[in-house]
Amino acid sequence: MTDISPLYLPQPAVINEVIEENSQIRTFVLSFCDREYNEKFTYLPGQFMMVSVPHCGEAPISFSSTPEEPGHIRLSVRRAGRLTNAMHRMKKGDVVGLRGPWGNGFPLDDMVGRDLLFVAGGIGLAPLAAVIRTCIKKRDQYGRISIIYGSRTPSDIAFADDIAAWGMEKDVECLLTVDKAEPGWDGAVGLVTSLFDRADFAPGKQTALVCGPPLMIRAVLSDLGNRGFADEEIITTMERHMKCGVGVCRHCHMDGRLVCADGPVFSLARLRGLEVMELG
Amino acid sequence: MSDKLILKKDHLTTFLRKLSKEYQLVVPLKNCHGDTLFTVIEDLDSQPPDLVNQPQNSLKEFMLPQQEVLFTYKNSPGDYSFSPATVKPPPTIFFGVRPCDLSAVLYMDVIFLQGRTDPHYLQKRENSVLIGLNCNTSFADCFCNATRHGPFLEYGSDLQFTDLGDRFLVEAGRSRGEEIVRKWGYFFAVAAKEDRARKYQVFLEARGGFARMVHVDQAIKRLREKKVDDSVWHELSLRCQDCGGCAYLCPTCTCFTIIDRPVDNVRGERLRSWDACTFAGFTNMAGGHNPVNAATDAIRQRFMHKLCYDVKDHGRPSCVGCGRCVGICFGGTDIIRFINMACEGI
Ligand SMILES: Cc1cc2nc3c(=O)[nH]c(=O)nc-3n(C[C@H](O)[C@H](O)[C@H](O)COP(=O)(O)OP(=O)(O)OC[C@H]3O[C@@H](n4cnc5c(N)ncnc54)[C@H](O)[C@@H]3O)c2cc1C
Ligand code: SF4
Repeated sequence: MTDISPLYLPQPAVINEVIEENSQIRTFVLSFCDREYNEKFTYLPGQFMMVSVPHCGEAPISFSSTPEEPGHIRLSVRRAGRLTNAMHRMKKGDVVGLRGPWGNGFPLDDMVGRDLLFVAGGIGLAPLAAVIRTCIKKRDQYGRISIIYGSRTPSDIAFADDIAAWGMEKDVECLLTVDKAEPGWDGAVGLVTSLFDRADFAPGKQTALVCGPPLMIRAVLSDLGNRGFADEEIITTMERHMKCGVGVCRHCHMDGRLVCADGPVFSLARLRGLEVMELG
Repeated sequence: MSDKLILKKDHLTTFLRKLSKEYQLVVPLKNCHGDTLFTVIEDLDSQPPDLVNQPQNSLKEFMLPQQEVLFTYKNSPGDYSFSPATVKPPPTIFFGVRPCDLSAVLYMDVIFLQGRTDPHYLQKRENSVLIGLNCNTSFADCFCNATRHGPFLEYGSDLQFTDLGDRFLVEAGRSRGEEIVRKWGYFFAVAAKEDRARKYQVFLEARGGFARMVHVDQAIKRLREKKVDDSVWHELSLRCQDCGGCAYLCPTCTCFTIIDRPVDNVRGERLRSWDACTFAGFTNMAGGHNPVNAATDAIRQRFMHKLCYDVKDHGRPSCVGCGRCVGICFGGTDIIRFINMACEGI
């Protein structure tokens, strides 16, 4: 008998805490029910888990936590449909299934010694939060950190407590903007790119990490290019429909690449030459 | 392939009967409607294998069933647990497998076993013995000569048969095939020099006997050089009826979907079943956003995958030239039509 590895078999994980980030996004703090599995489990920022919810199948969700804090993983979930809505109904003590970690992760080693620019829109801050937390844990390995985050409205700003805490760290700058202001908002209004003139850009010694909806990615990539960033210095994540997460079912095909196995993290250099809608 | 042996045709049924004592036997078989299908054979005496007609199905449905249970789950408050599926496939011999279908299994080996091992595929594959049959005459829609998967198989089967009239030339490819000829050695004689020469003769005739001329290499080249006009994709996508017939029949279309099937409130199964990249929902994301424009590009992934991406990744196209999609497609957008359109004006 060959060893039948549990490629499609999830591991039960219990919800320890539910954090309401905004009306649409909740962060679930989880640990695997199997203690030994929980202790050994590790991952890379940028990787994702296939999350099972009873009778709802699976959905890919990125880590928003850092592997530098083992034992608890955070998955930040935006209500988008059947599974994610069912997950939002779950409470502390409820159990989900987790399968992974899958995907490639951000190139943290290549980023050592460089300034970092994070550009996120909406739930796109979730996977970048995993990197930000990791870099703050290893603060002396990285240069200046700039975080530019766009939300639809001020009440849509997610990870507000985290952003406040990150802003207190040495050489970390957080700039927020909203598409539409609300009473009491005296911050910036406009797309994330409208904040670019206020940020300190240093192409050549800075890596840009970009995550958000396709239209935002398109605008940001072209703007960064115009400001002198090389394709290798721009890192982004791709989102596609996924079923298996391990490079077999092919739902996440992207001009001959598979987002689950070849990504979801891509440098702009790797995307060039591919027909990808995010590049326009 | 090592030693070349001879099995008299008169002895085939007895040989298969011996095998069927130890293995489940799957052969091309004519059903009551006159359709030939790879079928588990129960009674060799009343139903001889049909080695004349092309089976309508391929081995795909045996290695990657149309629907299979990946695992079962239980859920109650505070509990959600998963149990692996326990079905064990019996050791199975597939007899009379044409080079196209055999190549398709070799392709599935790459997809499901290279990189991360798919345990469900592995279980079936490692329990299978493949006995191939070279094609002396091609079927109406075949073009395996152009995709380089036939009409004779070069490597990959456990035993390879060639029809020499009153006898089969038998070549052992892999160790499982060698075991079989060793174990049932009394069925076989060593092939004479003339038999080997005859095989070559039959091969040359087979290679020259294709009814269709399909310019697979040209199409591959034009795809690689991005010379296929968008209008080709648009026209074919418009004509495709989104029925999925091509993908289901195709021996190398292995895309699947995964769903939960609740058994009751507290139990369920996770299933995988065949899917097709031509379906509009294949790439649909939450919120209705779709990176593939169904109206213009529904069929692009299908042909790019087979003729461009797989050539890049695995060295040859994953279209094996069996021609099944040509017969099934009522949209008139099968792969031969595509290849002809892609090569137009050359
Ligand atoms: C690599 C990756 C990382 C992601 N990380 C996060 C994250 O950290 N937080 C978050 O909130 N969302 C994330 N998403 C998006 C999330 O997976 C989808 O919102 C989710 O699958 C929608 O499922 P649903 O059942 O609620 O929606 P429905 O629309 O009901 O979806 C039905 C099925 O379609 C598939 N599907 C639909 N949309 C997507 C999609 N965008 N991506 C993949 N499969 C989809 C799923 O298989 C799902 O079960 C990520 C997606 C990818 C590809
Ligand atoms: S190409 Fe033909 S067989 Fe395939 S889905 Fe379209 S209409 Fe059906």
